[in-house]
Amino acid sequence: MDKLIIAGREFSSRLLIGTGKYSSNKVMADSLHASGTEIATVALRRVDIDNPADSMLAAIDQKKYLLLPNTSGARDAQEAIRLARLARAASGINWLKLEVTPDPYYLLPDPIETLKAAEILVKEGFIVLPYINADPVLAKKLEDVGTATVMPLAAPIGTNRGMTTRAAIEIIIAQSNIPVVVDAGLGLPSHAAEAMEMGADAVLINTAIATAADPVMMAEAFKKAVEAGRAAYLAGPAGVKFKASASSPLTGFLRNE
Amino acid sequence: MNNSIIEILKQKQLDGNGEKYIERMNSISQADVELELSKVNAAYSLERLMTLISPAATNYLEEMARQARQLTIQRFGKTIQFFEPLYVSNFCINSCRYCGFNRKSDAPRTRLTIDEAIADADIIASEGFRNILIVSGEDKEHIGTEYLTKLAEKLRQKFATISIEIYPMSQEDYHTCTVAGIDGLTMFQETYNSIAYKYYHPAGPKSEYNFRILSPDRAASAGMRRLGLGVLLGLCDWRVETLAMAEHSHYLMKKYWRSQVNFSFPRIRPALNTPHDYKHLVNDADMVQMMCALRLCFADSGITLSTREPAKFRDNLINICVTQISAGSKTNPGGYTTEKDSLEQFQISDDRTPEQIAQLVKSHGYEAVFKDWDRAFTK
Amino acid sequence: MLKLKINGQEKEFIESDFPQTLSALLAHLSIAEETVVAEVDAQIIERKNFASEKLKPNSQVELIRFVGGG
Repeated sequence: MDKLIIAGREFSSRLLIGTGKYSSNKVMADSLHASGTEIATVALRRVDIDNPADSMLAAIDQKKYLLLPNTSGARDAQEAIRLARLARAASGINWLKLEVTPDPYYLLPDPIETLKAAEILVKEGFIVLPYINADPVLAKKLEDVGTATVMPLAAPIGTNRGMTTRAAIEIIIAQSNIPVVVDAGLGLPSHAAEAMEMGADAVLINTAIATAADPVMMAEAFKKAVEAGRAAYLAGPAGVKFKASASSPLTGFLRNE
Repeated sequence: MNNSIIEILKQKQLDGNGEKYIERMNSISQADVELELSKVNAAYSLERLMTLISPAATNYLEEMARQARQLTIQRFGKTIQFFEPLYVSNFCINSCRYCGFNRKSDAPRTRLTIDEAIADADIIASEGFRNILIVSGEDKEHIGTEYLTKLAEKLRQKFATISIEIYPMSQEDYHTCTVAGIDGLTMFQETYNSIAYKYYHPAGPKSEYNFRILSPDRAASAGMRRLGLGVLLGLCDWRVETLAMAEHSHYLMKKYWRSQVNFSFPRIRPALNTPHDYKHLVNDADMVQMMCALRLCFADSGITLSTREPAKFRDNLINICVTQISAGSKTNPGGYTTEKDSLEQFQISDDRTPEQIAQLVKSHGYEAVFKDWDRAFTK
Repeated sequence: MLKLKINGQEKEFIESDFPQTLSALLAHLSIAEETVVAEVDAQIIERKNFASEKLKPNSQVELIRFVGGG
């Protein structure tokens, strides 16, 4: 399979995995392994000082996986920038999944604050992977300010509804010069395959794996679906049967010379 | 990702005679073409375009025309845009072997003062046109940013869009033009084959292939909304030229997403004092195939057909995939106001009046659009 | 009593127990240094400076770490 290249770094896997909502660190680690992923997203939270349990970070082998901190919880650009700086201080990693979600119900990304934050963070040296609604104009504006990817959502996060924004993501893929990672809302391996067949460069999955009855087995199913979808995209899909028409109403004039 | 079009064409070996592509296109089968035509709304790829312009696809012209027509109506509606060229100077310091403005041509030269140009433009406006294209030979001393700025500021009062088809400029000069209200650039590369380019443009500033090919980049960076590409059909193998032009267009569309790419299809026509021994002349069927193939790869690109083409050919193509036509065009400076015998750039073939052509467009069930956009909304 | 605001909660210390440095505070809370990032009065403190970062009464301390997230 061809390599995924983000900000000059090569990845063999085109599946990014979110680490939230797992029943245990062990199941999370086993799922990461089964998925074949090389990029795992993590969030930042305050330590519960009355009950400082062990950090989950120990469960993620950072030699195998690139840690991709996100800015979840940020409600505006300023909060996202603060979280980004904290994430870099905590991990030494300048990769960042930028998400700004002012609404507490659907967690839909704020396009204006995201663009503002992206512009500043790119200047501060971050490799920015912004989570966005499937908005082609926003995607181009983010590319213009120097983000490493765009990550349009397929459906509201956690809904598992599949490629509900397909028509807009088609345009984003057609216009983008940076990798397009379809994020959020992909509930089944077939949804991931659909995104990859369309020409998405990668997908990010969290809820669909973490909340499956058997997350490890589902992680492997997504791995296969992403590979199959990418291969189908590269192979060039066959069309529906072509039917020739006998008459030539449009081009007949070419023969009447 | 950040390669320039020069590097892209070099890497893909599309800046030469494209031998390997000719070989590959010759091996494309009818089954390959049928497979390609069965894909609905497929995106551009070099492979798709090669299949659609291959010799095998000549047997599927009717189906290509049918799909091209459907796609054009779907994206543009049943409308045809009208525009008219305004030739302001036929002085030229270039030596293009195919052109009537060639500096070695001893025919009389004319350049219009601003007032003379406005007089021609008034006639164009009175015919109903609201889209105008300023055309000039490479006459930098006279037709510079100062002239263009002054002219554009006057034209703005009467025309909704103003484009230029002149020599390549710096980004700064393009910016000056856009500020003055010029919002479209037409810059035909003539040929993407850099060796043939050198041959056909032996001297003068136009001999600089790289500076010319990067003009749309500079213009788009300066804010031009429409970028017109074209190859002079007849200089080199049309199939290879189509692939190179498509790569150029694809690159521009992705990089300058605010600008619209338009394709033109200038065919070599007899001009004064130029030789007539072109080996790659393009016939009507070739040209229809080329236009339809580009439409099937670029659903949203403008396709322009000028009065170089005969009336009957234009009438048929209106029904397939053309979105813009010129009408009533004079290709000599001052041609609208006087009958004076100044040097024409080329001979036109469709000499019907704009009104006659508009009538014909209507008879096909299309609306003839003299303007579709008002500057007042953006300036 | 001397106070610190830690992750939004007020903590009171008798004067002799007041943690003089960030490292001392983390030890007091039984939190491993390598698992957290800290802000003192809205300034990010590099981990290598935890031991030298002096705490003053009424400082606001934020202790943050990575958790699972998508």
